[in-house]
Amino acid sequence: MVEVDDSLLGKEFLELSFERCIKCSTCKYGYKTFDKICPSGEKFLFESYWASGRIRLIRGLLLGDLEWSDELKDPIFACPTCGACMDACQAPHADYIVDMIEALRELAVRQIGPADRQELLVSRCEENCNPYGEENSDNEELKKKYDLPDKAEWVYFIGCTSNYRQHSLRDATLRFLKKAGIDFTLIDEHCCTSPMIRTGQTSIVKDYMKYNIAQIEKAGASKVITSCAGCYRTLKRDFEKFGEQYDFEVFHSLELVKQLLDEGKIKFNSSYDKTVTYHDPCHLGRHMGIYELPREVYKQIPGLKFVEMRRNRNFAWCCGAGGGVKIGYPDWSVEISKERLEEANETGATVLSSVCPFCRTNLSDATSKYDFEIQVLDLMEIIDQLDIEILK
Amino acid sequence: MTETKQRNIFEKISKEEVEERLIEIFGSGNVTKKAGDLYPYSYDMTECEGHMPDFVVLPENNSQLVELVKFCNDKSIPIVPYISGNNVGGLTIPEKGGIIVDFGKKMNKILHIDENMMYALLEPGVTFGQLQKYLEQNYPHLRYSYPFAPPYAGVVGNAILSGMNNMSCKLGSMGDSINGLEVITADGSIARIGSCFYGKEKAANDSWWCRYPMPDLMGLFINWQGMTGLITKCAVQLWPNHPFKKTYLAVVFGLSAIAPVMREMGKTEVIDDISAVSTEVVKMAVEIPEPTKIEGEPDFAALFPISAKTENLLRAKKEILDLTIKHLKDQGIKVILIDVDEFSKIFNLRVRCYLDLPSVVLTLVEYSGLTWFGSYAPTHKLEELISKVYPIFLKYNVPPFIYMKIMKHSHYGIFRPIIRYKKFKDEETIHQLLDEITEVCINEGCIPYKTPVWMTEKMRKKINPGWLQLFDKIKQCMDPNNIFNPGRWNT
Repeated sequence: MVEVDDSLLGKEFLELSFERCIKCSTCKYGYKTFDKICPSGEKFLFESYWASGRIRLIRGLLLGDLEWSDELKDPIFACPTCGACMDACQAPHADYIVDMIEALRELAVRQIGPADRQELLVSRCEENCNPYGEENSDNEELKKKYDLPDKAEWVYFIGCTSNYRQHSLRDATLRFLKKAGIDFTLIDEHCCTSPMIRTGQTSIVKDYMKYNIAQIEKAGASKVITSCAGCYRTLKRDFEKFGEQYDFEVFHSLELVKQLLDEGKIKFNSSYDKTVTYHDPCHLGRHMGIYELPREVYKQIPGLKFVEMRRNRNFAWCCGAGGGVKIGYPDWSVEISKERLEEANETGATVLSSVCPFCRTNLSDATSKYDFEIQVLDLMEIIDQLDIEILK
Repeated sequence: MTETKQRNIFEKISKEEVEERLIEIFGSGNVTKKAGDLYPYSYDMTECEGHMPDFVVLPENNSQLVELVKFCNDKSIPIVPYISGNNVGGLTIPEKGGIIVDFGKKMNKILHIDENMMYALLEPGVTFGQLQKYLEQNYPHLRYSYPFAPPYAGVVGNAILSGMNNMSCKLGSMGDSINGLEVITADGSIARIGSCFYGKEKAANDSWWCRYPMPDLMGLFINWQGMTGLITKCAVQLWPNHPFKKTYLAVVFGLSAIAPVMREMGKTEVIDDISAVSTEVVKMAVEIPEPTKIEGEPDFAALFPISAKTENLLRAKKEILDLTIKHLKDQGIKVILIDVDEFSKIFNLRVRCYLDLPSVVLTLVEYSGLTWFGSYAPTHKLEELISKVYPIFLKYNVPPFIYMKIMKHSHYGIFRPIIRYKKFKDEETIHQLLDEITEVCINEGCIPYKTPVWMTEKMRKKINPGWLQLFDKIKQCMDPNNIFNPGRWNT
């Protein structure tokens, strides 16, 4: 048995692989639906690309049956960690499959390094605090533009994808928060660390978490809102997993919208006369268990006709952006989105909507690459087109 | 653990040249020799020793497979067929290395459903879950028979290895339900067996309706564990999916009293399936963490699903069950018949996965290992088998999970002690336990199916020499270079 360094954050998840999994293949397809759900397995097909095969890789490496080599990179890293396998698997380790894969990646990074280009996620952060390599924005200009205070009850944690790639979503969220009269501010963010955790590159993770917590505390906020499913999962779940404690509450923007609607504090006064289908982001759905809330919001928008794709909720087909796939396997990443767009087209919807800037990016990239006519929009961008009445 | 047992399979050709040829045949994305890709194919959930394959290939069609077989036959390279690798017998572990042919990924099409003659024509990779969903969506009036196994077990693999399903009390071995096969033999020729045998080139989809009355060449492939050729198509019978269904549960007191209950109920000819499990299995099913039997509790429980075209017929079948139970009680057997719907309400809904097949038997997949002594058994020996095997479990401090079936209205039975275990911790002990059970059961006349190599080694010592000679002659004739799953049955 190969000794695993105690400093490995996911060590306990690696050990779990010896206790469980008979490779019954239940993780490969939707439970009882028998639908295809695993982008990685469906693409590469060999057993090593399905969850049960990856668990076997962990065993092989820890037992010393397998030696570390670059050949292992694809089976280990070519997976968007969408977590569909977790919902399909019925064994007691089901909820920990993504943790096991991330722990395997953490170990792999130490032995053979990450997949091609994934190292950029860290090096770019080290230079500019965001994985896109854009010059860091301290958000002071946005604060001025939206007349935001230095201290407030809420912090809007924009997230790198919205701040550097999806300005329309960022701005729609900012406008909504202003319209709704929320007392909020912005901080000089560092990356939430989701891309690093997902790719097993944990060297800067704890420092960044501490930094972001300190910034939020400095802003005097008791609540954090984010419009990114990835940031939401990381702030709400991974901070604790990595031992970082904080005293604020974390919300996804759609939770705030729903709450304001339910409390009768806002009302949509115009209609959105389009047929919309909803793509469940993995980080919000399977990773955090939020499926119905977004659907309830869409259904409260006047004029909006809501339709479901064949695979939805916990067995929704992933957009293909997560788990380091977008940067490590860019062509395959949009191929995965293509399958989702085809499914969206089958519904007759003219708008494919989600609540994650990363899903939005990848689905949009696929519409351009494959000439789909369907429009990809975030929920906040749809809401931004509505007249909102503040009722108080 | 994963070293290939050598014969040197690259005597006639280098590994690099083999790879080149495989890429020519299948295309580069469908061939792998990377250790990380090979490793998951090197062992299974059982105690069987693992071995690495040298290559895994993903075939799409027959012409690729014909080329592969010709090449492997010429160069004496082993070929091991694989669907999902979740058999409980080490059957896809490449004993001698070679090439794993993974049918599960691309040769998994349902080619034809014949409503009139009620059969399905399948490629080898079709799974139970896939077939069930397809029938439900397109032919809801038809059904197949589903096993006590995960939904991703292969239908064809189950049939050609004489698996048993949830209509086995009516049908017997699933091997009997095969109408026709298409096989590639060692020289690369394609043969169609059964009523589909007419036609020089192709067989019509509606010609796979029966296996008789010509000489039954299917015997050259059924239960041979892939040792005589590659099966590329298989027609399996379907049955009417009756609208009225009910399942009853018999609770039986006395360790071996379950045996006459199963036999007599089987003879009523009204039950679709009879499967009996020890109380420990029932407790496991309802997720009791330490599934042990407490004094005074029943010893076994048996499920009796019945189905009928009309409600009246269902009622009449229930009447026959009641009469048989009364008769058994009159003989002094303590047995209680319960409606399973009521039983599952008392405990939890997870117990329903036993009825809602194909389904993951959840509590069986909680560990990293699962194994069994799965055997066809003479029904008159069930009493002895239970009373001898039960204490062996206790000796090893392992919960006695005993699973039995009545096949074809009591003509024969299934005796299957099951063990879930931690593969990387308890494997040696479990192997010893299984070895003892095997010894006892073979002495009682049980015949293991989907048999691991270490078990066939034991069987060979007891099988009559004439059978073994004939078996070896047929293997030699069908596979002169021993390329098809070599090592199985100690070949």
